Amino acid sequence: MASLSAIARRALVLLALCLAQGAWAQPVPEISVKAALLYKFASYVEWPPDAFAAPDAPFVIGIIGAEELAGELEQLVRSRTINNRRILVRRVKEGETLAGIHMLFVGGRDLARIRGVAQAARPLSVLVVTDTERGLEAGGVINFVPVEDRVGFEISVDAAERSALRVSSRMLGVARRVLGAAS
Amino acid sequence: MFATIRRSLRHKVMLLLLGTAVAALALSAVGLVFLDLRAYERQASNDLQTQADIVGRATAPALQFDDRAAAAEDLTTLRARPNIVAAALYDRLGRPFASYVAPGVAVSFPQAGLPGYRVVHDHLLVFAAITEHGERIGTIFLQAHYDPWTHLREYLAVILLVMALALVGAAFVSGWLQQGFTRPILEVAGVAREVMRTRDYSLRARKTTEDEIGELVESFNAMLAEAGRRAEQLRDADRRKDEFLATLAHELRNPLAPLRNALEILRLRGDDPAISSKARDMMQRQLGQMVRLVDDLLDVSRITTGKLEVRKERIDLQAVLRNAIETARPFIDAQHHSFEQHFPAEPLMIEADPTRLAQVFSNLLNNAAKYTPPGGRIEIEAAREHAFAVVRVSDNGIGIDADMLPKVFEMFVQADRSLERTQAGLGVGLTLARRLVELHGGTISAMSTGRGEGSVFTVRVPLVEGLGESAAPSRDRDASAGHFRVLLADDNVDFVSSLAALLSAEGHEVRVAHDGAQALELARQFDPQFAFLDIGMPKVNGYEVARRLHEFAERCVLVAVTGWGQEEDRIRAREAGFDRHLVKPVEPGQIEAILASH
Repeated sequence: MASLSAIARRALVLLALCLAQGAWAQPVPEISVKAALLYKFASYVEWPPDAFAAPDAPFVIGIIGAEELAGELEQLVRSRTINNRRILVRRVKEGETLAGIHMLFVGGRDLARIRGVAQAARPLSVLVVTDTERGLEAGGVINFVPVEDRVGFEISVDAAERSALRVSSRMLGVARRVLGAAS
Repeated sequence: MFATIRRSLRHKVMLLLLGTAVAALALSAVGLVFLDLRAYERQASNDLQTQADIVGRATAPALQFDDRAAAAEDLTTLRARPNIVAAALYDRLGRPFASYVAPGVAVSFPQAGLPGYRVVHDHLLVFAAITEHGERIGTIFLQAHYDPWTHLREYLAVILLVMALALVGAAFVSGWLQQGFTRPILEVAGVAREVMRTRDYSLRARKTTEDEIGELVESFNAMLAEAGRRAEQLRDADRRKDEFLATLAHELRNPLAPLRNALEILRLRGDDPAISSKARDMMQRQLGQMVRLVDDLLDVSRITTGKLEVRKERIDLQAVLRNAIETARPFIDAQHHSFEQHFPAEPLMIEADPTRLAQVFSNLLNNAAKYTPPGGRIEIEAAREHAFAVVRVSDNGIGIDADMLPKVFEMFVQADRSLERTQAGLGVGLTLARRLVELHGGTISAMSTGRGEGSVFTVRVPLVEGLGESAAPSRDRDASAGHFRVLLADDNVDFVSSLAALLSAEGHEVRVAHDGAQALELARQFDPQFAFLDIGMPKVNGYEVARRLHEFAERCVLVAVTGWGQEEDRIRAREAGFDRHLVKPVEPGQIEAILASH
């Protein structure tokens, strides 16, 4: 029995090594990971019905202050859909109207800007994604956080609710941190 | 073991029932086990696949967002399922992502495979695709204990139990069958053995059932009854034959003493015409008696071998009756009986062999005279009754006992064995009469009100339509008879010499030969108009003589004389060129008739 469990332990170690090696084998640029995550978030969030003008209206992702990411995202979504909707990537200037936008990535660490955009986005049910410390506190619904060598994220359920958005509990399960978890 | 099975019906039945039960159960067991294994595997794989789907769905976000720790944590929930020994997640490209191994188990994880399941030794392996929003994002692998054999063992134990119960049931049924099946058969066999041993045909098997076996017992009993009856009949026939032989010897011996005496008288006093004439008369009477006996004997053998034949022609029954009366009258008169005959005015036309039918009636008249004390009354009466001619011969003699009545027509039966022997025959007359009447399509019956009351014999023969010509012409033929050249050929010297003397006395020119060669030689010199040829002659047989005679004496009438009048012989004689055919013993009258008819 003892030998059996020893073999088991060795096998586990081996497996862990294999998994780790698999991850290191192809290091993916952080910008690509974030673009992919943006795209995936859309699948786990529910927008209110009036967020789309028509049944076949495109899903619009706005980008503020992250030109590189916008380019990466455009590449990624070219041949993809979200709930059978085409995906449009729109570069947005600060102060520009947010109407017709479903998800908005705000780049940079300027919390004041984030707060302003979040304020404008809230009544329009725009999912605001940030990439900075205390992004959620500034009004973001989802905020990227570094986790060891990967990219993780945290979610503010309160902010989502204020924007009339519903975040799937399955996504909450893999979030690093969840603010204002629904009781 | 097998020897017992071959012998015993009971074992056969038992073997049949048990064999059938075992075979049926074994077959159904194999089928059930097969089906059960299939069902077990399907259920286990379905369960595991469902499990894989559930876990896959739960781990989908972790895969999506590349969170290995969350995925590993999700997989540890499988600890609640102890039969699952290992699980693994693979990402979209089939790279290992997370894994779980139940405590205390060693597992080597396979490469990510196509969705589906397979059984490896005692494990069930399942791969399932993980999809999210229609997109395949990874693969999940589950490995579970798979142990159908424990399950199978339990299943087989139940089947064996059922089989054992069925065998006990079958043994019970076969035991029960033995009661109504083999036991009665064994009893029949026992009775059969007992009958063989004791020759007691009155034994019977007991019938206990109303089924086929009951029928068998019944048939067996009927067969025993029949066998008993046959045995009795055989004994009876045997006894009658013995008696007949004794009678025959006696009857044949009787005339010999007077014949020898007469010969002695002739030797001593042959010069005295009165005495020698008396001796010759006596010899003729005794000889006539012997000829009648031997004729009867010949008829008996014809009856027993089925060779009795009749040659029918259209004839008036009254003529036949007159002939019969003529034959029987001397004996009736000698017994001092009164005799009456009552015939209708019109003829009674029938299809019959006149000689044979006359034999029937003369026999009946003789019997009447024989079994009536001297001075009695004999009557014969013929009448038309519907489509039959009916002849009744009645007497006021000793009659027949009621218990003898049905038997009088059987072979070798005589009404009264105490009767004076000089009058007694061989006891075949009535048997012969019945057979002859039957050959004419008629019936014969006996009637008597009892002993001393006389008896009546009634013969019924079917009539034929139309008026017949009378048989008179034969007399005309006699009148026109001329004198002929006749060749007689036979190796029986006494017979042929005496016949030659007779024919010569009637004015015919006669030559005698004793073998075929001599007959041919004589014929060349003599050119006979008639040739009577024995078939079984030395040197050249009768057929050959006939063939050669035909070559140079075409107009000669050829007559074959043979021992047996079989149809086969007649055909052969006709083929050899014979015109007529006579069966031995030949009477001078028959030869005269042939001469007269040409």
